[in-house]
Amino acid sequence: MNKDKIIIDPNLSSYLSIKDILRYKSLLNNLAKRDFLIRYKQALAGILWALIKPLVNVLVFGYISYKISNTGNVAANFAYLASAMLLWQLFANVFNDVSNSIINNSNLFSKVYFPKIVIPLSTILVCLVDFLISLVILIVLFILSGQTIYWHIILAPLFVFLALLNGFGIGLFFATLNVKYRDVKFIVPVLLQLGMYITPVIFSTNFYLDRLPQWLHWLFCLNPMVGAIDGFKYALFGGDSIGNIYYFISSIGVSFLFLFIGLKYFYKFERSFVDYI
Amino acid sequence: MSKSSIIKVENLSKHYLLNKNVVQKSDTLFGSFIGGLKDIKSLTQKKETIDFWALKDISFEIEQGDRVGIIGRNGAGKSTLLKILSRITPPTKGRIEITGRVASLLEVGTGFHGDLSGRENIYLNGSVLGMSKHEIDRKFDEIVAFAEVEQFLDTPVKRYSSGMYVRLAFAVAAHLEPEILIVDEVLAVGDAAFQKKCLGKMNEVSTQDGRTILFVSHHMGAVQKLCNRGLFLEKGQMMDYGGIDPIMKKYMEIGHALSVSTFTFENCLNYRKSRAYFIKVELRDSKGNLCADFPVGDKINLHIHFESASKMEETVVGFGIISSTELPIVTSWAEPENYRQGQNEIVFEIENLYIVPSIYKIAIGISRGNESIDFNTDIVSINVSDIINIPNAHRIVNTNSGILLNQFPYKII
Repeated sequence: MNKDKIIIDPNLSSYLSIKDILRYKSLLNNLAKRDFLIRYKQALAGILWALIKPLVNVLVFGYISYKISNTGNVAANFAYLASAMLLWQLFANVFNDVSNSIINNSNLFSKVYFPKIVIPLSTILVCLVDFLISLVILIVLFILSGQTIYWHIILAPLFVFLALLNGFGIGLFFATLNVKYRDVKFIVPVLLQLGMYITPVIFSTNFYLDRLPQWLHWLFCLNPMVGAIDGFKYALFGGDSIGNIYYFISSIGVSFLFLFIGLKYFYKFERSFVDYI
Repeated sequence: MSKSSIIKVENLSKHYLLNKNVVQKSDTLFGSFIGGLKDIKSLTQKKETIDFWALKDISFEIEQGDRVGIIGRNGAGKSTLLKILSRITPPTKGRIEITGRVASLLEVGTGFHGDLSGRENIYLNGSVLGMSKHEIDRKFDEIVAFAEVEQFLDTPVKRYSSGMYVRLAFAVAAHLEPEILIVDEVLAVGDAAFQKKCLGKMNEVSTQDGRTILFVSHHMGAVQKLCNRGLFLEKGQMMDYGGIDPIMKKYMEIGHALSVSTFTFENCLNYRKSRAYFIKVELRDSKGNLCADFPVGDKINLHIHFESASKMEETVVGFGIISSTELPIVTSWAEPENYRQGQNEIVFEIENLYIVPSIYKIAIGISRGNESIDFNTDIVSINVSDIINIPNAHRIVNTNSGILLNQFPYKII
């Protein structure tokens, strides 16, 4: 029999362990399945809601964007907006759900041991499924607008992954804060609301850079979603989607910095969450 | 390797800092707004805190196949010890070495979700407890049979009776196959027949498969039946560790069995956590002296001191008397009353209670409407002695006499 040896002592610091996560794979799947099943239980439209919410957003903001930056092809305009909007929604959902995931599942880890990182990871899975469903909207608009498909469409999943990492990293930081300060629950939606307007969601990066004073441009090179959204647009539509290559690269750098900080902060307090819940 | 220690605990301590100042939560919207502003302001001030050692310098070793019963009164640190051993909370000092897979069962049905079906919950709960999908697949039929819920597998568990719910939850846990099983008070739920079945299952698991069990229960009979070793905790310190019978005897002599006339809540973990909380409980005799030994039928005055963060209306304070075998004897409630902000004291005069000589525990609770505000059990205990305080009592009291010794009027016709 192979014997695990567990050492428990006060100074033991926990860290991200892929082995541990794999061992709790079935918990990860079951938590994601639970959240998914419960979300649409006793709702008449059921899973259709995963489609309705983003559709309304795309229609409303698509109309606004079309009216303001009027550029010929209506469907193309909508498709362009939908790509940014859906990716932003993915980020927003991951950020919001991850930041609440720890306190929402405190009943679990206050009674049983498992690597707590499994909880936010399962949250990501649920958000990803929602995103894949909402992709239907983008595909339909893409076909309607008669877009040509470039080779760089194979890069698209990379930028989806980048958006996930953004939501996960920042979400972990807020999830840890949330354990002690429940104000986080209210702050996150406000941050997201503000964030959408300083991110190239409704308008392109160039639209912003042309109109914003020079001294505000740092907002774009420090915003981790600029890289993800512009990269995603480039993968789908090509052209000059990437407004400024330096800002683009810096933004991706910030993504990984935030992920690192989020993980670091989470693991610093992970072991004593129970004492603060 | 001969019989080696599977769990090794060295100088284990756990420290908590408890907030001394209670934030006064207001009932009104405006009040809570002001309260919120004060909270933000108070962030900058230093908070007064109480040092509290839930466990202090505990060292012991457990060998493979041992079934260890952890006994001690409320607040002795039993649950904290189990939580540290199950890696739920980290220790402040000390070191533990565990060899083997640990599963802890600190609650029945952790992770159960009312909206999910029995089948879905088996998978969810099983994976929470650390089983792989393959393991659950393999034991699925066994679990369902043990829980006796075959027909309701696809019904959401919120529609289950509480008995079915508990059976299903325990069934999943009972089919874990860890080398070390940590169990906390889970047998307090469920009916007697099912409790017996659970104990039997645990016994089978440990004796046949040589698994190690750590078990906390207030149910002394269950501990004695299941365990071969005992660990006696008192106020966070280890009093003794050894064979179950001598430990039990010691516990009865100096711990639990010693009737306790006063209990203060200062050192309890949930002290001051609710908006009204108990401070002190006292037992006094008819002359007003602190006392815990009462002859059968004697008047007992139960003084309950509690503090409330705000004025409380329509609030009910009650108490219960529980036998040493965990059988609730009686519950008594005061009428819904209004209590003032700050300290309150209520005295129950327990009269005409004729119970068989033994040790009894007192449980107290405070509630409003359907909401339980604070509840505590196992705090003070009464030693009812067999000096019978009934006029003209001429009879033999033995174990067959039952629980109540009320004497009823009669006529000879």
